[in-house]
Amino acid sequence: MNVLRVSKWTIAAFVLPCLILYVGLVFVPILVSVYSGLLDWNGIGTSKFVGLDNFKTLLFDDPVFWPSVRRTLMFAVFSMAEIPVALFVAMLLSRFVKKPNFLVSAYFMPVILSVVIIGQLWKTIYNPAAMGGMLNQVLDQIGLSSWTHSWLTDPSVAMYSLYFVALWQYLGYHTLIQFTGIQNIPADVYEAAKIDGAEGLKADWYITFPMNIPIFKISIVLAFIGSLQAFDMVMVMTGGGPAHATDVISTHMYNMSFLSMKYGYGSAIATFLVALCLIATVVINFVFNRLERKYT
Amino acid sequence: MIKQSNLIKLVLVGVLAASLTACGSNNNGGGNTESDTSTNANTNTNTNTGGNAPAEEEKLEDVTITFQNIYPDPTDPKNGMLKKIVADYEAAHPNVKIELDSLNTDQQKLKLKTQAASKEVPDITIVNPAAQMQPFVEAGLFAPLNDMVEQNGLKDTFTPGILDWYTFDNNLYALPDGNNIGVVYYNKELFEQAGAKVPTTFEEMVDTVKLLKSKGIQPMAIGEKDTWTGSFLFMNVLLRTNGGPGFLADVAAGTKTFEDPAFVEAVDAFQSLVQAGAFQEGATSFDYNAGENIFKTGKAAMYYMGSWATGGIETSSVNGKVGVFKFPTVNGKGNADEFMLAPGSAFAISANSKHLQETKDFLNYFMLNFPKEAFAVKGAVGLAQIVEGDFKAAGYSDMAMEVLDLFKQVKGGDLSFDNTMNPGTSQGHLTSIQNLFVQKKDSAEVAKEHQSAYETNKQ
Repeated sequence: MNVLRVSKWTIAAFVLPCLILYVGLVFVPILVSVYSGLLDWNGIGTSKFVGLDNFKTLLFDDPVFWPSVRRTLMFAVFSMAEIPVALFVAMLLSRFVKKPNFLVSAYFMPVILSVVIIGQLWKTIYNPAAMGGMLNQVLDQIGLSSWTHSWLTDPSVAMYSLYFVALWQYLGYHTLIQFTGIQNIPADVYEAAKIDGAEGLKADWYITFPMNIPIFKISIVLAFIGSLQAFDMVMVMTGGGPAHATDVISTHMYNMSFLSMKYGYGSAIATFLVALCLIATVVINFVFNRLERKYT
Repeated sequence: MIKQSNLIKLVLVGVLAASLTACGSNNNGGGNTESDTSTNANTNTNTNTGGNAPAEEEKLEDVTITFQNIYPDPTDPKNGMLKKIVADYEAAHPNVKIELDSLNTDQQKLKLKTQAASKEVPDITIVNPAAQMQPFVEAGLFAPLNDMVEQNGLKDTFTPGILDWYTFDNNLYALPDGNNIGVVYYNKELFEQAGAKVPTTFEEMVDTVKLLKSKGIQPMAIGEKDTWTGSFLFMNVLLRTNGGPGFLADVAAGTKTFEDPAFVEAVDAFQSLVQAGAFQEGATSFDYNAGENIFKTGKAAMYYMGSWATGGIETSSVNGKVGVFKFPTVNGKGNADEFMLAPGSAFAISANSKHLQETKDFLNYFMLNFPKEAFAVKGAVGLAQIVEGDFKAAGYSDMAMEVLDLFKQVKGGDLSFDNTMNPGTSQGHLTSIQNLFVQKKDSAEVAKEHQSAYETNKQ
């Protein structure tokens, strides 16, 4: 700091505008949300302060809440499990494909499409065969009629159908991130390893994995936070139905705040979601810091 | 030199701050999405209500009225009608400017709720009757229209009793654009193919479903992703098994519970219809439009819906092949002349409107001209107002005439569930009924679900 010969006050003055904006756009809404969570309020009329009642009902008496938390976490688990696959694809691309950029962009395509389009597309694919559903028709054609399902309306498979679409959409995204990470590993490291007799898988194990950990971490964090916020796709494809079978935390929050008009209760759910995000981020950071220290 | 570099730094910091906050607002978590939409909504209305330039003494003050409405679709005759009345009024009152804020029904509901939370309701907005508008009225957001409706004889243009659904404590708060009833549309051609007759009892209806099914014809269509569609049909069954209207009112009064035999019987009957395979596969993933399209493209034989669907069916490919019938009696109970009533969405005026009097004058003019203009664009089936004119001569279809005929036979009925019960209970009900489309359930258990939803949401 002294090198720059700038007083601490100047630094504070420069940081301040950004700080104010950040606090105003992030922390204030969160605090307002936490406070609304303590109210019995329909969002329009007068509100009543009820202390922690909303949280009590949420955690102990809401039959929809915990299943929706479970689905959200499953969503996160699947999304994170996808990242090693993305890394693997990225490794294959950078090793065996001469001009990988085209393929990477092709895989990336679904990400730039709007979720509404993706949702409508997959809805038609998942439709019953009688309504032109591609998946079921293909299964019928190849003699696997017993495998056909009402993919989006059978409560036991609907959620998995949704997971799959999200995985399909974001595979290209994470592949791109991992691919860039791998490209950034200096080639001379591999050359040195080659001289020492490490090639192929061995080089990957000792060079690609450890050196790619920070990038891997970015993907994991993005996947986790992204799945906690999963909302649009669920809304477009099933709306949380049939009968809450595909409700995740955010759709439950939406239903409560806007359809049941329990704004206070919805805010309590939002608060829970924020807390979950924060805890998850801390945990993921902790795990990866240890990993990084171990390998680098 | 130093000064200059400081300046550059300042600019750079500014750019950095801007870019950081741009990223920040994208990442601020699921909890903030509501506040984002609300700020968007507010800026919209703010820009709309602005622009009141100080006027000269003798000239009338310039007035801008924001008119939120649910006719955004330019192919919908009501959209053109709305614009015509507004243009006429603006021509007659040069100092008044009407800003239209046209939205889809769902968007409008959401926008109004966010606007209401910050007490920035547009001058004229749209609300639904009875229980759905009650929270807004209780929050004092709407201006009473008692005096306005008396002007120019506007009150007498409404059909008797309709305004009661918008009246609280003897104050009228909104004027409806429609009044509909639940009817069953059927495709005559498909019925003929299967050799089916119009059912006169619910049991016959279930048999008809089986007959159609056996001939490979999709018996009924429904858009059950939107949940209220199935509920509307279910409530008609309940209206029959209860032997008349008022079941929900009795529940609210505490004289009945949802575990009443009439309710359980209704669930049984409804399930028998679903289990007979009446509805298309995967019905719960079809939204309202997609469900209706199955019928409108001639792929389903029956469609239960409010009479507002008449216009849409008239402009579809099945026009001319469609008839209507009343929802039949269930187990010999009920009266087919009692209908599910659907008093339409209604125009309300903000209590905080800056130009309350001008807004009232405009709405008065608008509603007085509404029936005439709607008649002209063939949108006059199911209006809340008395329409003068010969429908037949004006070229309305036979189906429209049949529907108009049913209106004359209405002897009371019930409102939909979500117009009667509070939003929390309604959501419980809607998902519970949606669930019946995907799995068979014990009817007593369904009744129990309803009762517990009702009790937890009771105020």
